[in-house]
Amino acid sequence: MMKTELYTPFLDATRQVLQTMLDLSDIAERSAEQFDEGQENLEISVGVVGDLEGTITYRFPSDTSLNIVQILSGMEMDSVDDFVASAVSEIANIISGTVMTLLSADNLTCDILPPVQGRLDNQKEYTQHTQCCITTSAGDICLDIALSRA
Amino acid sequence: MFWKDKYKLGVALIDKEHEELFRRVEAFMKTLRSNESWGDKVHEVNETLEFMKVYVVEHFSHEEAYQKKIGYPGLEDHKKKHDEMVEYVVGVSDQYEKSGFDQQLMQQFGGRLLAWLVNHVAVEDQRIASYAIDKGVANDEN
Ligand SMILES: [Fe+2]
Repeated sequence: MMKTELYTPFLDATRQVLQTMLDLSDIAERSAEQFDEGQENLEISVGVVGDLEGTITYRFPSDTSLNIVQILSGMEMDSVDDFVASAVSEIANIISGTVMTLLSADNLTCDILPPVQGRLDNQKEYTQHTQCCITTSAGDICLDIALSRA
Repeated sequence: MFWKDKYKLGVALIDKEHEELFRRVEAFMKTLRSNESWGDKVHEVNETLEFMKVYVVEHFSHEEAYQKKIGYPGLEDHKKKHDEMVEYVVGVSDQYEKSGFDQQLMQQFGGRLLAWLVNHVAVEDQRIASYAIDKGVANDEN
């Protein structure tokens, strides 16, 4: 899959948020093919409206979700329950908000909708379709980005 | 420990309140996450929730007063973020009471509050501190 011009702001925002919130500095890019498909994923979708329209879908494998919330709270987490899923959704929300700030520097004005759990099924075709996957000591995270210019 | 020294901003007043805020949120999370059954702990959850709600609002207003005092240019934006959070907290609490203390609502609230707070303190509040330090007013008596 081709990397579109949107790839960099998404990678930068993810890196920035994980670094400030979780102290993760060992963040490396990873191809979507290498993404750990062996575990169950928590999927979070964030809608985008404005100059760009579409959806960002975040995939957090269970281990990643648990590690992240453990780092944040200093408490042991043993299953991806409502508390964990909600904390991870807020992180997806924060990353998306950071992306919007980076895009506004390129004169793209967009807003995000509240995060929802699951994948939004829609049949629309998007002109910009890219994936941004990373690996960290807390686990892998993958973003599916499907956006079009409004 | 939920609070980490790296969250310190170098502004005495804000640091003190943040540590207290983290303590309250931690107490809330601990109760929320304990192994007791919901029926056994709901009373304590509600108590720590009320306690924490009051402290959040108090702290926000102190922080806003501080921003005003030092002439922080981002006050309006920052206040908007506080107001949105208070609106969310009040909204969920209402819904929670109406639902007859639904556990799922509170677990979701706790998770979101956790991530919001860490990001807010590590990113948004950091900007106030950078401004205060640049202006050389960070540790004036408040
Ligand atoms: Fe604040």
